[in-house]
Amino acid sequence: MADRFGPGDPVRTRTLDPAGHTRLPRYARGAVGEVVESAGRHPLADDRARGRSTPPQAVYHVRFAAAELFGTGDHSVTVELWEDYLEAAAGRDPVQDGSDHER
Amino acid sequence: MSGDHASAAIAGQVRHVETLLERRGLLADGEIDRRIDEFLAGGSPANGARIAARAWVDPAFRERLLADANGAIGEVGLSMSGGIQEQRLKVVANSDTEHHVVVCTLCSCYPIALLGPSPTWYKSEAYRSRVVRDPRAVLAEFGLQLPPDTRIAVWDASAESRYMVIPRRPAGTAGLSEVELAGLVTRNGLIGTAAV
Amino acid sequence: MSRINDVGGMVGFPAIVEETDEPGFHADWEAHVFAMNSALIRRGVYNLDEFRDAVERMPPAAYLEASYYEKWFAAITTLLAEKGVATPEELTGG
Repeated sequence: MADRFGPGDPVRTRTLDPAGHTRLPRYARGAVGEVVESAGRHPLADDRARGRSTPPQAVYHVRFAAAELFGTGDHSVTVELWEDYLEAAAGRDPVQDGSDHER
Repeated sequence: MSGDHASAAIAGQVRHVETLLERRGLLADGEIDRRIDEFLAGGSPANGARIAARAWVDPAFRERLLADANGAIGEVGLSMSGGIQEQRLKVVANSDTEHHVVVCTLCSCYPIALLGPSPTWYKSEAYRSRVVRDPRAVLAEFGLQLPPDTRIAVWDASAESRYMVIPRRPAGTAGLSEVELAGLVTRNGLIGTAAV
Repeated sequence: MSRINDVGGMVGFPAIVEETDEPGFHADWEAHVFAMNSALIRRGVYNLDEFRDAVERMPPAAYLEASYYEKWFAAITTLLAEKGVATPEELTGG
């Protein structure tokens, strides 16, 4: 399966707080950032921690402005995130990927 | 080594579990000592320092390193395969306009295979919580005062990659050899909490 | 899940304390915990993500009080019991 996102794509992280292990830090939930580059393909850590075998999926370096995460700061924070944690943000075609349901 | 009661108590518990695992065939004779020796003989900040020095003297190597770190470090005889499996390495380079600093907010991910054990401060809740929110203040605590117009990029090692920073080459080092340059690079410099 | 390990951006933690010339391990038992964990993962008794999950499941107060390798040892014994390698009583020697 091809990577869904590429460098420069705006993405929004999920707000969901799943039961159990996850690698989406809470400070980066529900935030809009930009894909910097691909970080390879790996099975989702959430699944591996539950003993589930799943196929590898794309992982990305996603850059956020500190102000988007904390409401303050002029630095950036780049978080490494599995594709499952991400949906397309403004700038992508909502019909094509059907994920822009929140405004 | 601490000789206090808490340390002695946990040392005894660890020994107990180790013996149990040996009896159940989950640890081979001498396996623990062998693994410790291998580990301590493996990674060291000197590896990162060699990579940084090569990047300073060889711009083409620097380009390859930033584009494909795993491939590039092979050129200096290093690899990310010393751990449980080969890990992806992401190298970022400081410039006069941007400073990078690495953290793992969720646990303690660190390029152990390359750099050896991480310092205790890197694994502390204090560092992990604060550096993503206010890196400038945290870096100042390390004695690193960045100019106000230097952009700061924090990298959270939240998935499978491990990260290393190439510090800026210090001024006045034009006459130094690659080995001498490597001698200037510190572990904190490779994490991003020191200038070099 | 929002667990105590997920501290990024939290406020209230103190200034960072740096130890000069820090050794790789501060006591022999720490090195043994490190080696035991890598042996168990390589043998497939549990995987690295299960290990992280076990650290994260520590009660928040215990997590914050424990040193780094104390957390590891707590997670190892949790997993050995859950995987049926040994009973909690056997693990504590009780």
